[in-house]
Amino acid sequence: MICPRCADEKIETLALSPVPGVWEVYQCQHCLYTWRSTEPLRRTSREHYPEEFRMTQADIDNAPQVPTIPPLLNQR
Amino acid sequence: MAYDTLREFLEALKQNGQLLEISEQVAAEPDLAAAANAVSRIGDNAPALYFDNIAGFTDARVALNTLGSWANHAIAMGLAPTTPTKPQVDEFIRRWETFPVAPERRDNPPWAENTVEGNAINLFDILPLFRLNDGDGGFYLDKACVVSRDPLDPDNFGKQNVGIYRMEVKGKRKLGLQPVPMHDIARHLHMAEERGEDLPVAISLGNDPIITLMGATPLRYDQSEYEMAGALREKSYPITTAPLTGFDVPWGSEVILEGVIEGRKREIEGPFGEFTGHYSGGRNMTVVRIDRASFRRKPIFESLYLGMPWTEIDYLIGPATCVPLYQQLKAEFPEVQAVNAMYTHGLLAIISTKKRYGGFARAVGLRAMTTPHGLGYVKMVIMVDEDVDPFNLPQVMWALSAKVNPAGDLVQLPNMSVLELDPGSSPAGITDKLIIDATTPVAPDKRGHYSQPVRDLPEAKAWAEKLSTLLARR
Repeated sequence: MICPRCADEKIETLALSPVPGVWEVYQCQHCLYTWRSTEPLRRTSREHYPEEFRMTQADIDNAPQVPTIPPLLNQR
Repeated sequence: MAYDTLREFLEALKQNGQLLEISEQVAAEPDLAAAANAVSRIGDNAPALYFDNIAGFTDARVALNTLGSWANHAIAMGLAPTTPTKPQVDEFIRRWETFPVAPERRDNPPWAENTVEGNAINLFDILPLFRLNDGDGGFYLDKACVVSRDPLDPDNFGKQNVGIYRMEVKGKRKLGLQPVPMHDIARHLHMAEERGEDLPVAISLGNDPIITLMGATPLRYDQSEYEMAGALREKSYPITTAPLTGFDVPWGSEVILEGVIEGRKREIEGPFGEFTGHYSGGRNMTVVRIDRASFRRKPIFESLYLGMPWTEIDYLIGPATCVPLYQQLKAEFPEVQAVNAMYTHGLLAIISTKKRYGGFARAVGLRAMTTPHGLGYVKMVIMVDEDVDPFNLPQVMWALSAKVNPAGDLVQLPNMSVLELDPGSSPAGITDKLIIDATTPVAPDKRGHYSQPVRDLPEAKAWAEKLSTLLARR
């Protein structure tokens, strides 16, 4: 299994359905995209995941800080 | 009618025919969000939605769209569900003027029934989390009140803040939280982070409607949301002490999460479909660590769908944005008659005012941009005369069409501040701002030919009454 959004291979299981076997919630450990196994293909499959929502390493590296971390007072 | 809990409010919605309970089994995705999306599209007076049969869950309960129509907003305010929009805003203003109303401290909150701490916390066990929009990075808490204190003045009740900020569930006990720089929690976080400290927070989920409205209202930094909630519901607001942080939190919540925003830490978050009708893009956002969770038995998860306006959030933040702007302007300029800032959280505002002298109206527009909310929103202001109702859009269009000459009536200010979520801002957070002065010029501003307005005939008022009577008799 790869991440639908960034294609990374490190995926962890975050939750299992209280009724056993109905669904699992997965999380990509690289871009942190989270999805339920029973969601539509456009959200769960790399092949069908929309181009405009895909995330690259550059997207992660260049994501703006919100809010910006201020300088430490004692280092001014 | 003052509701102390979400459950009391749901009951009131039900009594008024404004709660649609859906018992057939649905999938968490895409059904819950699709239903909440659809309910905004099927006409006025959309009901709240309640789901309790969600595939794979045993005890899930989800409430959506509780404030998502003028009827629901009226019920939240304890008004008749048929109350039109403008009278709801007027009543909001009237109650606001009774601020502050001291809160009532209570013991034994319902959310004290269950407690989980530390690594035993798993938010997925407590709440039926689900995705809202296709491009969202994960599952969100988007209707919770977050309580924080001023780290340099922690005992100041007024500076304790209650605000609604989007939070992405990124782990069993980890959240991403968006503090917009113009919001009070960002000031708290800034003080903590420049000292290398964490910022403790208490997060209250599943609430009575008034504290939700207050969490979305841009009050002054030192104004207490709890004291304003008391004013708005015309009864002291019930609060209690959260066990870990010691913060004041709503007594009636379904769930209370306590922990910290971890100081000087950012991590990839989002995107999230936002109130602007656009996704936020991925951001490096703050990280919340949950250390204690307290919750009612079988808690109701309250969530909010948002997308291309109008959806629930536009009703939630509509009057809540108009009223503080009106009050803050009126305090300095009693000439201000009304403020309609219901469009995209006040990115656009329409203000009616009397004029002291030429140039006055646009000065009022400038002042709207420097109110606490205006600094991060109020990108465009349309100024109209005192006889134009800003809530009556055909009248506003008349003012725009007949009173504006672009040669002198557009005031454009370069590189002003706006929240980063404004999709037009470039770079994110920076935008030009615009005042369109659609008021009639007064001396010494003598532009245009406005000396001969067509007024309603003096006899028209009596005729209006006569015609109404004749129509009623038919």
